[in-house]
Amino acid sequence: MGTDVMVHLAGVTKRFGNVWALRGIDLELPRGRCLSIFGPNGAGKTTLLKILSTLTRPSAGTVTIAGYDAVREGEKVRPLLGVLGHRTFLYGHLTGQENLRFYARMFGITGYAERAMEVLHAVGLEEHGRQLVRTYSRGMQQRLAIARTLLHRPSLLLLDEPYTGLDQQAIVRLQELLQQLHAAAHTIILSTHDLRLGLMLSDDIAIQCRGKMVYHGVATDLDALALEQIYFDYVK
Amino acid sequence: MQMPRGRYQGWYLVYATATYVSMALALWCVFVYVPTEKVQGIVQRIFYFHVSAALTMFLAFFVVCIASMMYLWKQTLWWDSMALGAAEIGVVFCTMVLITGPIWARPIWGVWWTWDPTLTLTLVLWLMYVAYLMLRADMSDAKRTRMAAILGIVGFVDVPLIRWSVEKWRTLHPKPVIVQEGGSTGLPPSMMLTFIISLTACVFLCFFLIRERVVLAQSRHALDGLRDEIENALGG
Amino acid sequence: MRSLWNRSTSIMSNSRLFVQQVLALLAKDLQTEWRTREMFISMFVFTILVVVVFNFAIGADPEAIRRLAPGVLWVALLFATVLGLQRAAQMESEEDCLQGVLLALGDRSALFIAKTAANMLYLTVVVVCALPLFSILFRIEMVAGIGALGVALLLGMLGLSTVGTLFAMLTVNTRTREVMLPLLFLPVSVPLTIAAVYATTDIIAGKGLADITDYLTLMGVFDLVFLVVAVLVFDYVVEE
Repeated sequence: MGTDVMVHLAGVTKRFGNVWALRGIDLELPRGRCLSIFGPNGAGKTTLLKILSTLTRPSAGTVTIAGYDAVREGEKVRPLLGVLGHRTFLYGHLTGQENLRFYARMFGITGYAERAMEVLHAVGLEEHGRQLVRTYSRGMQQRLAIARTLLHRPSLLLLDEPYTGLDQQAIVRLQELLQQLHAAAHTIILSTHDLRLGLMLSDDIAIQCRGKMVYHGVATDLDALALEQIYFDYVK
Repeated sequence: MQMPRGRYQGWYLVYATATYVSMALALWCVFVYVPTEKVQGIVQRIFYFHVSAALTMFLAFFVVCIASMMYLWKQTLWWDSMALGAAEIGVVFCTMVLITGPIWARPIWGVWWTWDPTLTLTLVLWLMYVAYLMLRADMSDAKRTRMAAILGIVGFVDVPLIRWSVEKWRTLHPKPVIVQEGGSTGLPPSMMLTFIISLTACVFLCFFLIRERVVLAQSRHALDGLRDEIENALGG
Repeated sequence: MRSLWNRSTSIMSNSRLFVQQVLALLAKDLQTEWRTREMFISMFVFTILVVVVFNFAIGADPEAIRRLAPGVLWVALLFATVLGLQRAAQMESEEDCLQGVLLALGDRSALFIAKTAANMLYLTVVVVCALPLFSILFRIEMVAGIGALGVALLLGMLGLSTVGTLFAMLTVNTRTREVMLPLLFLPVSVPLTIAAVYATTDIIAGKGLADITDYLTLMGVFDLVFLVVAVLVFDYVVEE
């Protein structure tokens, strides 16, 4: 099932009661590109990512990921996704290793114990693997969450405000990791408030406001200042 | 969005007239036309409304179940309003059964409450659907309708099971002696006619009230939608 | 809503993964519970508490106490179930672990089955520990009918766990979660309560399995109906 287009959204709308969170979003992202979505709070970025990760169904419109219909064929789409949400999805009373082993078993990875150690190494947490996640710092928890995201070697990464709450060192680490993944041909979509970091990483940028995608362009011809200008133009 | 038609026109007139006429007729039948029952006396007249209300209550809860299923399938708010309306009116009729029951029981059997199967079933249903209404009041918009719909289906599925178990249980409790509960066989024609008329009146009343409730809920949704659109237009 | 047929065929084709996921979820729950032992202890202590308090509440007449014993046992189990369920659902809402789990699941009913199984396990352990105590406090001979009692208890606990897990996942986001769960759970499980109490009464009075088949049938039907309904609607319960 090899197509060039990884993600295709057409007319995606999401309504909660009579309040519209998303109004007709159209989006296309080719394989291997990185997209940053900027926008103020309440723009619907989290809702959009939730729809992309099949946690929610849209009220209208189609969502196609790697050629599969995300609404009807959710079970085929989910193994391709690596999702980093607002919260870490980690169990505080289990150790880092146990958390990773659990998720590895859930994803049906053969040799789950080895894979768990592998990703633990990749994020630099091998000494803390046997400690309870409750005792980790925020930065360490974020790193473990990223390890969890990468366990099943997903082709599409969805990151919802990954830089929030991280200190400088952790941000640099995360940025390096994301750049590595980007270079390794992973498709990435992230939402963030930080214009500079998003711009540094991405091929494409988009601005979302009040449930609509008000700007969508290529990142290469922009610098941070120009992006800021555009952002404040579109977001009143 | 269509503008509402004049309040007292069209179908409203038909429903309203049917309801008023049938209720007036029922009242006349129950209090004037039908002869007083030999054994129980005047109190027996409650039976017509008591049993009619019980049957109407079942009908209303059945509507809740169907409307909930339709809502989960079609995802249109109209079905959810229907489920809510039917649940509210169902609880009203349920309360009527629970009030008329003791009023009837006291003079006849000397006790306020008889644990007869129908009354007990009604009590459990009252608890369940009041919990349904509380659940609706308690949840945030996004999930409320869906969770309530699930409860609406599950609750009704439980009804035959509750009835079965309560009847089993009842066989172990001696019934207060003497009088029959005025079952459908053995009723003279005038009483049967009165019963059918009061049943019809209750059903008409039920649907009339549900319809009014649905119209109210839909108007509220339309208002929310308008409000949202205005905010969006002003802000964008 | 995926039809039962669709769902069954998809589960059967991915059965190894499905079973692996259920076991992984179950193991995770048990592992977490073993670390803290909060849930089991609170369920067990609460059961004993209910039994003791009822003893005082009923009064000194030993006959009355004996007659009411089955009722007391099942009320205690009802409350223990509610207690266990609230904790189980809450476990998934910290750090939004539920979403993490949903992302790893193909068929979401694996989560429902794992949670129900976990709850049943806790209840079984509680019952095994509490039954001797119950037998002593109420002065009831249980050894004779232990087989029949076991069947009744199993069917009853299965029903309580099934309905309870469904409602626990349903109410996990309400503001008054602690009140809402028992409020919904108790009326719906009335058939189970009635059948279980009368089955237990009969067993204690010396009747065998053959005599209580109608109660067992009721419990069995209840369990089956709710298992099927819960699996069918579970997708809607966990969706965002």
